[in-house]
Amino acid sequence: MSYELTIEPLGQTIEVEEGQTILDAALRAGIYIPHACCHGLCATCKVQVTDGDVDHGEASTFALMDFEREEGKTLACCARLESDVTIEAEIEEDPDSLNLPIEDFDGEVIRIETLTPTIRGVWVKLDRPMQFQAGQYVNIELPELAGQSRAFSLASAPQSPDVVELNIRIVPGGQVTTWLHENLAVGGKIKITGPYGRFFVKKSANVPLIFMAGGSGLSSPKSMIEDLLAEGCTLPMTLVYGQRCRDELYYDAEFRALAAKHPNFTYVPALSSEPEGSDWNGARGFVHEAAKAHFDNDFRGHKAYLCGPPAMIEACISTLMQGRLYERDIYMEKFFSAADASQQLKSPLFKNI
Amino acid sequence: MDMQVKKKKLGLKEKYAHMTRGLDWQPSYQTKEAVFPYATYEGIKVHDWDKWEDPFRLTMDAYWKYQAEKERKLYAVLDAFAQNNGHLGLTDARYLNAVKLFLTGISPLEYMAHRGFATAGRNFPGVGPRVACLMQAVDEIRHSQTQIHAISNYNKYYNGFHDFKHMLERVWYLSVPKSFFDDAFSAGPFEWMVAIGFSFEYVLTNLLFVPFMSGAAYNGDMATVTFGFSAQSDEARHMTLGLECIKFMLEQDPDNVPIVQKWIDKWAWRGVRVLSLVSMMMDYMLPKRVMSWKEAWEIYFEQNGGALFNDLARYGIKMPECLSRASIDKEHASHQTWSILYQYGGAAAFHTFMPSDEEMDWLSAKYPNTFDKYYRERFTYWREQEQKGNRFYNNTLPMLCQVCQVPMAVTEPDNMLQISYRESDYKGEKYHTCSDGCKQIFDDEPEKYIQAWLPVHQIYMGNCFPEGTDPTVEGFDPLAKVLEWYHLVPGKDNMDYNGSEDQKNFNAWRGLATKND
Repeated sequence: MSYELTIEPLGQTIEVEEGQTILDAALRAGIYIPHACCHGLCATCKVQVTDGDVDHGEASTFALMDFEREEGKTLACCARLESDVTIEAEIEEDPDSLNLPIEDFDGEVIRIETLTPTIRGVWVKLDRPMQFQAGQYVNIELPELAGQSRAFSLASAPQSPDVVELNIRIVPGGQVTTWLHENLAVGGKIKITGPYGRFFVKKSANVPLIFMAGGSGLSSPKSMIEDLLAEGCTLPMTLVYGQRCRDELYYDAEFRALAAKHPNFTYVPALSSEPEGSDWNGARGFVHEAAKAHFDNDFRGHKAYLCGPPAMIEACISTLMQGRLYERDIYMEKFFSAADASQQLKSPLFKNI
Repeated sequence: MDMQVKKKKLGLKEKYAHMTRGLDWQPSYQTKEAVFPYATYEGIKVHDWDKWEDPFRLTMDAYWKYQAEKERKLYAVLDAFAQNNGHLGLTDARYLNAVKLFLTGISPLEYMAHRGFATAGRNFPGVGPRVACLMQAVDEIRHSQTQIHAISNYNKYYNGFHDFKHMLERVWYLSVPKSFFDDAFSAGPFEWMVAIGFSFEYVLTNLLFVPFMSGAAYNGDMATVTFGFSAQSDEARHMTLGLECIKFMLEQDPDNVPIVQKWIDKWAWRGVRVLSLVSMMMDYMLPKRVMSWKEAWEIYFEQNGGALFNDLARYGIKMPECLSRASIDKEHASHQTWSILYQYGGAAAFHTFMPSDEEMDWLSAKYPNTFDKYYRERFTYWREQEQKGNRFYNNTLPMLCQVCQVPMAVTEPDNMLQISYRESDYKGEKYHTCSDGCKQIFDDEPEKYIQAWLPVHQIYMGNCFPEGTDPTVEGFDPLAKVLEWYHLVPGKDNMDYNGSEDQKNFNAWRGLATKND
């Protein structure tokens, strides 16, 4: 049977399966607990159990001492729950996290638009308002596909809590996205669970913002920017947004309009495959190249939010870092997988990027 | 009426910050520059020491408690091992030569690491690294002590364990690890952190520690394995300190990037050279082998180290060029290093031996590209000679690389018929190095490396004989005098394992332990 694990100081509660370690469950829920060896020897993942019982598993007697066991310490990489448990871990408290509860919603599709040849905009009316932070995502579950679920970032701003927008790109060969493109129609019913994720704007930092988006990664930045502007944020903010060609550059007109209306918002669109000599007057090349040129290779004093395909993210991180913006100021959605938990070939140089 | 306001609980990071920050003082009658004279001359620019993130949060109070329990456990195992004649449970006494190499070549370096971190801690103006270096300095002296204690049990029964510190300072091949630490210790605090905190503790530690500790586990050496566990729980802290220091330097100022790159290039290569001793230990000295050197290199360096360099590339740091050579050398390093130690086995501080047929089959399976082609015939011939009572000892002395001090008997990566060496001219003298990597290091700081104490050169200069030796007397035997100066007894502490006292005693004692007569 499974137990509930509450992780302090976040106050977040997650489900832990029988036999699953605390570390594995936390990483899969998107909560980073520092760890290294993953088999009970190095003690990097030591946490304090403040309530409940755990089995210390294969934790080495040199990494988890007797007096520590008595004090309620355990190693997250080996510990398994024997009751509902509360732990305190070395997690930095995030003043910008609202720690919103995750709930299930029934939704009805009220509008569908073709945004690009491969991306559909889908507007869903929820049975009741959902409180979320711009940048977070939801899981949608399809009874028609044996309850399979997929994660989608919310593309609309939290100011509209009962109608949410999802941008769905058709993944070649993808069962769920293909179904959503071919079969989902206005009036269709879907189940939505959320909000998930810790990708949101660090409003408390109060510094200028850079958003870098590409492919179908526009949803979170779009929601974040709309949210900030609706709140009356006057900090300088820049969206560097890339696609291959103009057909794919969805919401281009909307962002141009926002930039015209808000002097603190700058819009930098970039196309990577635009034919030479066309009348395109924006940047040519990839997002990271356009950003480097726009900021003259100096990103200091900003916070950057990245969303897009892995190759774009990697190129943007390198560009930002060589322009002197580092891990503590770079944010992205991170989906942890089992491979991350075993950390076979990832160096521990960075934790979050 | 008093209202109870529930205070917000501090996170562990905040708690630690409250306990450790703001404890230093501002100098009043001396300038900060005078108090920290070595903080700037290496060229590393630091604008904000508060950007240093404590990689581990440990207080002295927790530290003592923690280490005390570890010690109790370790010493209980060591006592049990000693009282129950644990040494008779070893696979074979040949294994002990790997332990001798560790005791003479590694344990004293832990002590040097202790001194180095204490010094670095003194010289950093920032509170964060000062505290971190202090903790590591205490760890390192503990490692040194526990290693010496763990291994000292063997000194009651076997030869060659009697004077490790003395040997480190004199015996020729031990200048390879010693010069690595001397070089780092005589550099500035930031270079020290790259050399030891990063290159040694992070990039190379798996290749050093895992082979020795797994080797111990595979060969029945419970004392050393237990020491390994007790140390491994500190290593995670050491690795994260090295990483934090690298990140800190790279993020503080763009001018730091080329300096850090130069140090990474230098210390990665110096580390690879030291590891050639580990390579021969893995492939030739363990009766029961863990994995081949080549496999270890591929897993721990090419894969894990590769992942690190991919991440460092984000800062504009490149994989050191010299390491492309190391990936060719992985096919040869252990065989060539063992050849050197075998033929100069009359002047080593442990026993050497040729592999059996079965062991050679293992080597050719692990090294299909090189072992049969280049090494098997030579080793078979040496073994035949030994069996005929004609054990080969080379009575000349090899030239040493001016930088890494490895004997220049290693071949060019692309030409097995050519010994690899490079030349540099400095102030009218010629200096020889073993590789492009070492030549680059020499050319960058020639004034430092011309002062190197090269054991072979010192022997030829007459500086390695006991006091009062007269080399002009008739029948003077220089090697005998050098060994006397090393505190080594020929034949007892070195030469071939076959026929040695260690071999005879181990077999006799084990016989007594397993039979009734």
